[in-house]
Amino acid sequence: MRPEGRLKSIAYFFAPLLALLVLWQATITVFDVNPRVFPGISAVWHAAVTSIADGTLIQHIGASLTRVAVGTVIGIAISVPLGMAMGVLPAVATFLTPLMRFFSVLAGIAWIPIATLWFGYGFGAITFVIFNAVFFVVAYNAMLGVSTIPMRLRYAAASLGAGPWRTLTEVLLPGALPNIVTGIRTGLGFAWRGLIAAEMIATNVGLGYMLFMARDFYRTEVIVMGMIVIGLLWLLLDRLLLAPLERATVERWGMVERT
Amino acid sequence: MRSLTIRDLSKTYFDAYAGSHVDAVRGVSLEVTQGEFVSLVGPSGCGKTTILNMIAGFIPCSGGEIRLDGRAIHGPGPDRGVVFQSFALFPWKTVLDNVGFGPKMRGVPKAERDRTAREYLELVGLAHAADRYPNELSGGMQQRVGVARALANNPEVLLMDEPFASVDAQTRMTLQEELTRIWQERRPTIIFITHDVSEAVFLANRVIVLSKGQILDEVDIALPRPRVWDKLHEDAAFKSLSGKVLQLVRSA
Repeated sequence: MRPEGRLKSIAYFFAPLLALLVLWQATITVFDVNPRVFPGISAVWHAAVTSIADGTLIQHIGASLTRVAVGTVIGIAISVPLGMAMGVLPAVATFLTPLMRFFSVLAGIAWIPIATLWFGYGFGAITFVIFNAVFFVVAYNAMLGVSTIPMRLRYAAASLGAGPWRTLTEVLLPGALPNIVTGIRTGLGFAWRGLIAAEMIATNVGLGYMLFMARDFYRTEVIVMGMIVIGLLWLLLDRLLLAPLERATVERWGMVERT
Repeated sequence: MRSLTIRDLSKTYFDAYAGSHVDAVRGVSLEVTQGEFVSLVGPSGCGKTTILNMIAGFIPCSGGEIRLDGRAIHGPGPDRGVVFQSFALFPWKTVLDNVGFGPKMRGVPKAERDRTAREYLELVGLAHAADRYPNELSGGMQQRVGVARALANNPEVLLMDEPFASVDAQTRMTLQEELTRIWQERRPTIIFITHDVSEAVFLANRVIVLSKGQILDEVDIALPRPRVWDKLHEDAAFKSLSGKVLQLVRSA
């Protein structure tokens, strides 16, 4: 991208956020809103600075991101091979698809009660929720990806001497990758929401916990600061990690339309 | 030396829609010698693509046998290279890696297979496009890559399934001329499927006319090479051979 293009896209990204900040402060000032109802920008800023200075914010972010990373990695590691196996074996796919649909809908915070029974409060239960959110979406997409690879590509590989293993690594995996990447992006979106909810219930560290505790002390500025951090972290994750991943593979190959 | 022997080949499908069995191919016998260029021509539904798919090993035959240098064939294999109508290039691989795919499957080291791939890209006039992806190429260029990919694997027989049907008319003529040139240089055994009579006559040494799953007749094409459209277009021998084949196809 050309420098002025990049600058422009940054401007487009931040302009609406800036507008929101202006509207926010104006409303607080004009209507003289009680900080117990909603905080002003300076209070939120102060809360951010304080929690960064004393290290608690980093601690909460670290805990949340670790859970997301572990749950996602385990989820991908199991769902990709399973989903691909489903795509290769139509009978398995037909059998499992209704279950996959059912559990995709259920994935997320509905599992928290049972997860806390299995894993206790804390890391295990929350990571399980993340795993769940990622697992079903990615498995379903991997299956879809494999089953939509044109038969002629598998024929081509076979007539060029590729055996089953080479067909898997050279055709099925790269062929399903666009769907897998999309699945990961969607699944992580679900996981991120599930994470915050799970942390409100089942732990004593993490961004969701930080929000929920602040509520008990009417610390609206901490709540809002946490909400902003949660939103920004997701935007950063999506923009800096997931979107470039999608661009680097899928769009380059012309397998989806550039948007 | 006999290269490819097809004896009493047949294929029966169960047509679920009609609720009955359909004989797509019936008792086809054919010998193709090494280095020969044979066209199979016939209207849609004559069974030509089914025959090719059985030779390629993509579908099993219902009866008869196919032998390559005496060995019965089972399933697809690198001894039979295929050029597909819809190109079937790997979209996630560069042109160079597409062409080097066969050698890679044989365990040829990267540097050597890249050299081989470049040589065959040179042959089809695409040396400059080595690092591009298939979606960045025109249809004609993609099919040149398809031909280079099949040839780079050094197959005993090259099976071509209406490979030029989905490119524009001008490009098709260029590709046909290039294919005859490549055949003259390398002498691969080629079985070429088409419904286009003039294409079949232009390319091949022998044209086999198919009808309703059977071989109707065959015509030897003793036209001199190199063959170029500018010369053959008005050539009396070409016209008379085309006319003969066309009559056979239309009587089918």
